[in-house]
Amino acid sequence: MHEMSIAGSILEAVRTEARRFPAGHVQKVAIRIGGRAGVDPEAVRFCFDVLVQDSELEPLTLVIDFREQGEDLDLAYLEVEDGAAAART
Amino acid sequence: MERLPLERKVLSENDRLAAGLRARFAEHGILCLNLVSAPGSGKTSLLERTLESLAPTERVAVLTGDIQTENDAKRLARYGFPVRQITNGGTCHLDGRMIERGLEGWDLAAIELLLIENVGNLVCPSSYDLGEAAKVVVMSVTEGEDKPLKYPSIFFKSKLMVLNKLDLLPYVPFDVAAAEHNARQVHPEIEIVRTSCQTRVGLEDWLAWLRRGMSQRVAVQV
Repeated sequence: MHEMSIAGSILEAVRTEARRFPAGHVQKVAIRIGGRAGVDPEAVRFCFDVLVQDSELEPLTLVIDFREQGEDLDLAYLEVEDGAAAART
Repeated sequence: MERLPLERKVLSENDRLAAGLRARFAEHGILCLNLVSAPGSGKTSLLERTLESLAPTERVAVLTGDIQTENDAKRLARYGFPVRQITNGGTCHLDGRMIERGLEGWDLAAIELLLIENVGNLVCPSSYDLGEAAKVVVMSVTEGEDKPLKYPSIFFKSKLMVLNKLDLLPYVPFDVAAAEHNARQVHPEIEIVRTSCQTRVGLEDWLAWLRRGMSQRVAVQV
């Protein structure tokens, strides 16, 4: 059960990236998991939701692209609601 | 809404630490091995027999990981080599940061072989690079022959499989050929040694593998 550490690493990456958007909020983070990565997608999701709950990152959605083949455990993309851009319009 | 590509590994921070460790090991000519197995397959016993077989002048050090207790370090410290316990308080694997902390204060120039005993677990340790030259997976004859098929990731990533507890073969319905076939099905190039830490059968093969690794420290990199 290293999914809690994995979820923690995903949130660490989100926090790092979020600093580039002080006025924005990260809405979504997407990851890719390969069947040989030894990581259970549903357990990652469970741990992720537990860690996000009541944190400054809430609300934050996790998108998981699971592929039968491969050993991937990759961060794919973020979606940011840019508050500054929204304020300009 | 703006979409930003990230395209890096989830564990990129651990990979960065592991790359730093690997560079330090290379700089000091250290062969680092990461021993992984299920709980109770005999990692600590194998290390005991290994340390007991080595001359006190050999430059060996051991980091041993467990969730709780210093028991393994106590068992291993009897042989006079530097041994340090990493108790991680609940994590199911060791990671690069724990190894960095574990090495603090040690003179790396005085070490040629660093043996890391991971937490007993066949799943999680396979995801965490510790800067090792190779992973060694230990499996015992009291386990199922299909373990390599059930936990393919760690067998795929290990350079060597140690099939341990050979002395128990008369008492258990274990098919050695099937187990080795399964390991090779997952990882055709995996090397295999068969050992018993009780009768000491096969320990010479394991020690010879270690010595080969030490004499070809670059070649063993995977």
